[in-house]
Amino acid sequence: MSGTDAPRSRSELEHWLKTESAARYHDTHPFHVAMHEGRLGRREIGVWIANRYYYQTRIPIKDALILAKSEDPAFRRSWARRLRDQDGERAGSGGLELWLRLGEAAGLEREAMISHALVLPDVRRACDAYVELVRDAALVEAVAASLTETLAPELMRQRIQAWQEHYAWLGADSVAYFRTRITNAERDGREALEFVLTNARTFEQQAACVRALVRKTEILWQLLDAVERACDRPQLARRARLLSDPMSGKRLLLYPENGLLLNGTAAEIVELCTGEIDVDQIVSLLSSRHAVERSVVEPGVRRMLDALRSRALLEVPRT
Amino acid sequence: MNGAERPYTLVAELTYRCPLRCAYCSNPTRLARRLPELATGEWQRVFGEASALGVVQLNLTGGEPLLRRDLEALVSSAAGLGLYVNLITSGVPLALDRAVQLARAGLDSVQISLQDVDSEGARRIAASAPLDQKLIAARAVKELGLALTVNVVLHRVNIDRLPELLELAVGLEPERIELANAQYLGWALLNQSSLLPSREQVETARVLAAAAREHLRGRIEVSYVAPDYHTGAPRPCMGGWARRHIVVSPDGLVLPCHAAHTIAGMHFDSVRDASLASIWRESEALNAFRGEGWMLDPCRSCERRMLDFGGCRCQSFHLTGDPRAADPACRLSPHHDRIAAARAVPSGSRRPLQLRTPSMSR
Repeated sequence: MSGTDAPRSRSELEHWLKTESAARYHDTHPFHVAMHEGRLGRREIGVWIANRYYYQTRIPIKDALILAKSEDPAFRRSWARRLRDQDGERAGSGGLELWLRLGEAAGLEREAMISHALVLPDVRRACDAYVELVRDAALVEAVAASLTETLAPELMRQRIQAWQEHYAWLGADSVAYFRTRITNAERDGREALEFVLTNARTFEQQAACVRALVRKTEILWQLLDAVERACDRPQLARRARLLSDPMSGKRLLLYPENGLLLNGTAAEIVELCTGEIDVDQIVSLLSSRHAVERSVVEPGVRRMLDALRSRALLEVPRT
Repeated sequence: MNGAERPYTLVAELTYRCPLRCAYCSNPTRLARRLPELATGEWQRVFGEASALGVVQLNLTGGEPLLRRDLEALVSSAAGLGLYVNLITSGVPLALDRAVQLARAGLDSVQISLQDVDSEGARRIAASAPLDQKLIAARAVKELGLALTVNVVLHRVNIDRLPELLELAVGLEPERIELANAQYLGWALLNQSSLLPSREQVETARVLAAAAREHLRGRIEVSYVAPDYHTGAPRPCMGGWARRHIVVSPDGLVLPCHAAHTIAGMHFDSVRDASLASIWRESEALNAFRGEGWMLDPCRSCERRMLDFGGCRCQSFHLTGDPRAADPACRLSPHHDRIAAARAVPSGSRRPLQLRTPSMSR
């Protein structure tokens, strides 16, 4: 960017929007990379689907907000198509329905997804921030925020291939939503880009559009951050050594210049920090092993992991 | 002694020799007797006896333990016993090839001290502590996959550079950063008027350390030891006298801490004359301040007596003449005015630093 305030030409603005968004798009997020390399387990896929569903439900709402900003019947006619795509022409059709089916294929309950009971607080915050961004922005900026969809078709192509290769257990229909996105996102993205290039006339408007788009990429990234954290598979750091204390018979966790004498449950938790299973699974395992409610086990597990983490005794999550 | 005393850590002071001359060193300023250092075989025997007593951690320290040519052999036999072996070093004579030998021998972790953010600052406080050599040592430790702790002793001369010290330490990618205010024993007590930071300095350091701990959480453990001269509360020194730690001095004395032999009138036994186990159980000096029977007022009726153990016996002796007295760092101590007076020394009357003399470096 130079210091001048003269508006950019159409092609300059297009280039500006593309570079800023491509540099920050969530296709390079470690969680996405792991997904496309087939490194996610069933539970992780489930957590992602359930949380991404909340994002999907925000889309028609933000599109309705965009509709309400426009005075132009032609724009509204065209943009309204997005609502029909996501909500369907009738019950049992549309993007949200396809996503619910995807969740069911992954073992999630439809009702649980619809109630948003599975949504992580940080995911909810990120998605709600997107709706707020659109609500408070001028029309052209709100449209610009949706331009991440110009990058979606390529990501969808990769995903379909990756899922068919690595997650065949989800069934052949699981990629149906992603397929619809290839054509829809291509068309929608083209239309939205044309609108922004035409309507962002001053340099200030253009810069505001770029800012809105950058903010949107951050929101998508935060969503995956939250999902990744929830899927964290704690792994005991290499320098920590777990052994039986010959004097007390208890398990003893040794680390540089220090150690923790563990009671039975704490030792079990540490032993489950193998990097193979996530926190939720640790809770499930202990809950069934001792026939107690998850809600009884969970706080203790979190506290123990927290104690380990504050001593830097868990490996930093994979990247 | 009863079941409450179970040693977890053996602190093996392999030598009093040291290439550094830190003005805050808490080693004794002079030694009543100077016997030769324990030989390789003697240390190896002590390690075995310590392990049998329940010790699981071994801290190899000094002085500068790297000056012992048999360090590799010592590490190797300790690792063979299943001890978690930590090397506490200035890092000065540690090049990659030596680090490789030590790692191969079974060393688990290395603690390297930083005196200041540059060699110039380090020279003021330690005569010589070349930073570049320390950085080489830290990198070697990381390259070999050993755990790294960076230790910084804080005092009036370097405490204002804590932000830079933290930045330097974090750059070395340790798993732990230990920020410890100097303990005013030995050379540090001699230099106390020049080393004791002001209340404002200490408060700033505390806030910075807390922020760093939060910021680095999960990646690097940051610990901060506040100066007992400012907190009004005594340190639970060594987790209690002869309770969790055994310190063996370079010439074989079995001590509850690294300074206890500076308490006049106490006789500590040597591993040269008896087994570690019998000394640990029967030594009159080790039993002297175990439990709470020895305590005077205000300690003996204090509800914190088994949390802070009345503080530091050495500090009580050096500031009051009686090792049984409550640690003057405690605001309840009748001698707390000594601490208050030390805090109140006007900066004009500070004496120049007296660096640890090399006369001990035989």
